[in-house]
Amino acid sequence: MLLELRGVSRRFGGLQAVADLSMTVAPGSIHGLIGPNGAGKSTAFNLITGVIPLTAGEILFKRERISGLRPSEICRRGIARTFQATALFREYTVLQNVLVGAHLLAAPGLGPALSWSRSYRERERQARERGETLLHSLGLGAVASQVVGQLPHRDQKALALAMALATGAELVILDEPLAGLTDQEKAETTAVLRRLREQRITVLLVEHDMKAVMGVCDTVTVLDHGVRIAEGTPREIQANPAVIEAYLGAEEPGA
Amino acid sequence: MERSAVAPAAGVALIALGAAALPLVTRDSYYLDVATTILMNLTLTMSFRLQVSTGQINMAHISFMGIGAYASALLVTRAGLSFWATLWIGALVAALLAVPIGSVALRVSGPYYFLITFAFSEVVRLFFNNFFEGLFGGPSGLVGIPKPGRLLGLVFDGKLALYGLMAVLCVVVVLALVRLDCSRFGLTAGAIRQADLVAETLGVNVFRYKLTTFVLGSFVAGLAGVFFAHYRQVLHSSDFGLEPMVLLVVFTVIGGTGSVWGPVVGTILMTIASELLRELHHYEILVFGAVLILTMLFAPEGLVALPGAARRLLRRVRARTTAPAGAGLAP
Repeated sequence: MLLELRGVSRRFGGLQAVADLSMTVAPGSIHGLIGPNGAGKSTAFNLITGVIPLTAGEILFKRERISGLRPSEICRRGIARTFQATALFREYTVLQNVLVGAHLLAAPGLGPALSWSRSYRERERQARERGETLLHSLGLGAVASQVVGQLPHRDQKALALAMALATGAELVILDEPLAGLTDQEKAETTAVLRRLREQRITVLLVEHDMKAVMGVCDTVTVLDHGVRIAEGTPREIQANPAVIEAYLGAEEPGA
Repeated sequence: MERSAVAPAAGVALIALGAAALPLVTRDSYYLDVATTILMNLTLTMSFRLQVSTGQINMAHISFMGIGAYASALLVTRAGLSFWATLWIGALVAALLAVPIGSVALRVSGPYYFLITFAFSEVVRLFFNNFFEGLFGGPSGLVGIPKPGRLLGLVFDGKLALYGLMAVLCVVVVLALVRLDCSRFGLTAGAIRQADLVAETLGVNVFRYKLTTFVLGSFVAGLAGVFFAHYRQVLHSSDFGLEPMVLLVVFTVIGGTGSVWGPVVGTILMTIASELLRELHHYEILVFGAVLILTMLFAPEGLVALPGAARRLLRRVRARTTAPAGAGLAP
């Protein structure tokens, strides 16, 4: 298993946001995490990426414990993420944003920057080239030198994904990658996710668009009130009475 | 924000040329004194801006200048060390003390960081003022600090020689800090200022970056402090108190912290203004306060951003006047 959560809990004062959550993400899969508002999906993402600490349990990535590490160290181990409210460096250009994402693969730190050595410049040039290639592959080639603040919503979403990929992560965690997109744009994004799977990059995502989730995911985990109520293939989830009862209610799944 | 290396190199060369050209124009000791003060202030504001570039407003920056100054003054007068050794030792002492202090202060951010560093700066000032009077001189100050002395056959005791020494120190510091700013280090620092959590989740150890700029900035402040001690030859705890710290903030912010050239413009203009306002004594800070408020209101990105803002405004006005009538209607 690539990612493993064992009995993970998080309490905010009197609220049990995530309760004794155990789940595994298989390498090379697209794994969906769904549930109604307040089910604890975003909290789960924050726990995995070290943004907030766990109250109980542990998280393993490639069989090594990552819970308790700094977010930057978790990223260094191979997990990158996007945020629900698309978070970018707004004063920077699109390419500069991706270059920050390439931090770990480039030449970080004081020494290389001060020495301005040949190897430093070479690594920076490579980072720039990789960044440009990545932007082209996500349809952002034309806006590479634009400042982020003025980009359309779709491009901002794509850029957030590009930054996560630029870290060289093996697992990317996407918080609502399709929110606010048109049907056409959603289709483009799901095509990108499938392409990532072909490149053996594992995707874990939270998404409210059920049709898209059921169409693109290999495995789906369902949360309700911080508790895992089901896990399985989209077909199994859609047929699961507990899911229909607790989450989809009277609605027809996939509607 | 273009990060090519050509424009910065030209900027540093301009500062170096300007500094070298001044003695050709005048060797009047008053003007040399003002120019030396500009260079000393510039070293301080540039190192302060290094910390601002990661989002820290370090109100104890001036204290590290004081630590370098007192360390060097004592090592020369009590231990008989040479200025040329204590120049580096004083800066290193400031940097070493910055490690534990920064490690504590950087646990918090925003207004709490501001308050912690402010409290620390008062602790340092009161320490120099009230403790070990035999060592630090107490309220009457530490006097009798010798000038730098000889190096490589040159005697550093005249205004011109000291000006030259400060110019070399300042240009080296500016060169290093400009290079940092144009490098990946500067890119990462700016990312931390804009969205530290996003930077952290992209693999940037935000704490370590901030601590690095805190320690490096303190080293440079200590360096300026050592020069200050042996240039003025007398130290008072108030030299490193709230008032000079506020001036340091004003000098840096008025020019603009978005680019390395902000502090350069701000420091040159404000040091000269400070000389012109000398007769106001302690009231000059009122004038600077007013200038700071006006800058925040009308040019929040600082004076160096004004040409760009004016250009944008002009373009908008022109676009409005040349837009064809009815252009807003749907076809």
